[in-house]
Amino acid sequence: MRTPGSETFVIMEIAGTAYGVHSHSVQQLEMVESITLVPNAAPSVEGVVFSRGNVVPAISLRARFGFEKIPYDLRTRLVVISSGTRLVGLIADSAREYISIPAEAIQPPPEAITGASVNYVQGVATVGGRVVIILNVDEVIHGIAEPPPDGSPDSVSDVQASM
Amino acid sequence: MPDSDAPNSHQFFDQFLADYLVESEEHLTALRQELLALEHFVGKPQIDEALLDELFRRCHTLKGISGMVGLAEAEQVAHRMESYLRVLRQGQLPLSEHGLESLIASVRLLEQIIEARRSNAALPDITSVIAELSRLSQNTDSDHGVAPTAKPPMQRATGQGVRLWRFEFMPSRELVERGINVNTARARLQEIGEIRRSVPLVKAQGQIAFGFVVASSADESVFAGWRDDGLEYAAVDAGSEVTPSDEALLEQQPAAGLPRATSNVVRVDLTRLDDLMSLVGDLVMSRARLENRIKQLRTVLDAPEWRPLQETSSLMERQLRDLRHAVMRVRMVQIGEIFERMRFVIRDLARENRKKVALDVSGQNTEIDKFVVERMMDPLLHLVRNAVSHGLESSEERLRSGKSAEGLIRLRARTAGERVIIEIEDDGRGIDVEKVEQRARERGLIAPGTHIDDDTLLDIITAPTFSTQDKANRESGRGVGLDVVKNSVEELKASISLWTERGRGTRFSIHLPLTLAIADVLLALVEGQTFAVPQAAVQEIIEVEPQAVSVLENNEVISYRGGVLPLVRLAKVFRLAANGGGRSFHVFVIGSGPNAAGLVVDRVIGQREVVVRAASDPLLQVPGISGATEIGDGRVVLILNVEKLLLPAAEYEQRLSG
Repeated sequence: MRTPGSETFVIMEIAGTAYGVHSHSVQQLEMVESITLVPNAAPSVEGVVFSRGNVVPAISLRARFGFEKIPYDLRTRLVVISSGTRLVGLIADSAREYISIPAEAIQPPPEAITGASVNYVQGVATVGGRVVIILNVDEVIHGIAEPPPDGSPDSVSDVQASM
Repeated sequence: MPDSDAPNSHQFFDQFLADYLVESEEHLTALRQELLALEHFVGKPQIDEALLDELFRRCHTLKGISGMVGLAEAEQVAHRMESYLRVLRQGQLPLSEHGLESLIASVRLLEQIIEARRSNAALPDITSVIAELSRLSQNTDSDHGVAPTAKPPMQRATGQGVRLWRFEFMPSRELVERGINVNTARARLQEIGEIRRSVPLVKAQGQIAFGFVVASSADESVFAGWRDDGLEYAAVDAGSEVTPSDEALLEQQPAAGLPRATSNVVRVDLTRLDDLMSLVGDLVMSRARLENRIKQLRTVLDAPEWRPLQETSSLMERQLRDLRHAVMRVRMVQIGEIFERMRFVIRDLARENRKKVALDVSGQNTEIDKFVVERMMDPLLHLVRNAVSHGLESSEERLRSGKSAEGLIRLRARTAGERVIIEIEDDGRGIDVEKVEQRARERGLIAPGTHIDDDTLLDIITAPTFSTQDKANRESGRGVGLDVVKNSVEELKASISLWTERGRGTRFSIHLPLTLAIADVLLALVEGQTFAVPQAAVQEIIEVEPQAVSVLENNEVISYRGGVLPLVRLAKVFRLAANGGGRSFHVFVIGSGPNAAGLVVDRVIGQREVVVRAASDPLLQVPGISGATEIGDGRVVLILNVEKLLLPAAEYEQRLSG
């Protein structure tokens, strides 16, 4: 149940950390099946998938947040979110929880991590002794460089290693 | 009501509403045409009866279906139109100019109401139109005692709090085991109120369901629990009481004695056609595999045994091609429908602008993809408005310059190869090039000394917010319109061109692709990944041995038709790990003459007609990729834009490698 003053979030796990995205922006959760590589796309763009008939880019949150990529397994989820008119898939190590967080439990991000590179952090919440980083999904997406005129060879081989 | 049930009943009603919007659109289109035909009978003692019957039937149907979705405003307007038409049909009054105007105004109002419902906007006010129609029908009432609102015969007192509900019963084995079937469901509904209508429904998976409209004063809590017994429901219009006119809409049959127009038209959702097309594509691939097997058998089988197999396979190939075209044709609609709508618009505009306008239409039978047609409506409407409002001169001005008083608008459509050309032409004053030029210079849109030809002129007048109109014009919205026209046309991968001559007129030509949604592609493998190449771009496919490749500075070339053909390796352009050295490979020959180039792939694996989907997200905007498709296994296959990839090949590779 949604209570006044609280919001619901879908919790994704990436490299052992919990990240929350507003449930209203989440369109659906899918198993990661076949992702088609998009040549010369930005390094964190893992590829493209069909989601309910839409052509949706799939973004590796591990790559986006600067973690090492790992192979997909049964827990890997594609979290399809809407941002404005766009539909974008976020690949998380897992995404199994749907929780309600009281507004007062969400704090602004600590000074120490506010900077241009992490402006996708909207807040930090402590839920049952666990830290959940609340994401601003618009920033997560917009922060991704458009396809680079020259993707460095390293980033390309990264993408392939994980395919 | 428990929360969990809400989505179901929403979907249920949404589907119902979607059907209504489609169906009402058809009736409105027909009504517009019929009203134009009715115009010939203004002031005549006799009106074509078949035409009146048809109009009457349309209004009656619109009234009925509008009531079913609880759109009382549309229902009432349609009802009053029907009443007036009945008066006309009974020959009590000749059709006056004013009467026709009122009918046309009513259709326009219906359009607005339905559009408002579609977009959840505020509904327009209907009182003046209703009053006008009632007044028209009432003129004869005293003599003949025909009530203007034509009280439905079934009318009975409806108590306070009676509401209409739509129920849907979906039988299932499980329900039958529990003793619940359509008869018991019906009996339940009869207990809570009166069943006004019942229809069998065929659901998506071919299941049969039963729909009921029930007028009931019972509280929702009485039947909320029935959902567990397979009875879904939704209020026809939450909050509104049943009005007397609701009774009429629930009559099962149109008024007695009216011929029911027979229609052979089936409405099909475009996505279903897409599915059908992809099934046909699967068949094509299966046949290709069969053909391969048959070829292999040639060495094993004797000729008399082998040949019939081969012949059957060839026959299948031809039949499959026919099948593909047949499915494609289902998506095509005639452009005439749009032209008819323009006729209506032109008539209105001519009246408003006090101009005399004749319309010449040709090529109504030209077929074009439904998807394209829907998106062409607004741009065409705009060009037509411009032509009448600005293109054509007033009658006096025309007479002064030695033209006939009546202006001419031409709407033409024709097919040219893989494209459809639509032209909108007027014989008016033509675009004032000097004025446009002056304005463009003032705004810095063109450099001094630029020569203004038709193409430059088109660029200027389609620039955002450009206008030579001295004051705002309601219909054409100054220059705002033309940039919208240009954008819409470009979104459809179409092009637009302009011809204009002072004193002689203006013509816009729109070149549209026949179909956007479907393309023939060749499928090719590159380092294990499948790509699709539009077949139209490919001149030839050749197989090349590695030793046939010569290296010329940075470029690989092969000899081809007495010249050299530069090669572009897709694996390299796309930075796919290249490990296929030493084997022969396939080359798509793209372009011709000095511009020809070869696109190198590992292997061509088939040909197929695919449903093209846009890959429009900015993250997917990479050079050389124009869209995406799916070939049956759920995986995305990228469609290449070969022109972008190859021309000029060297430059592209350079740009990529920085």
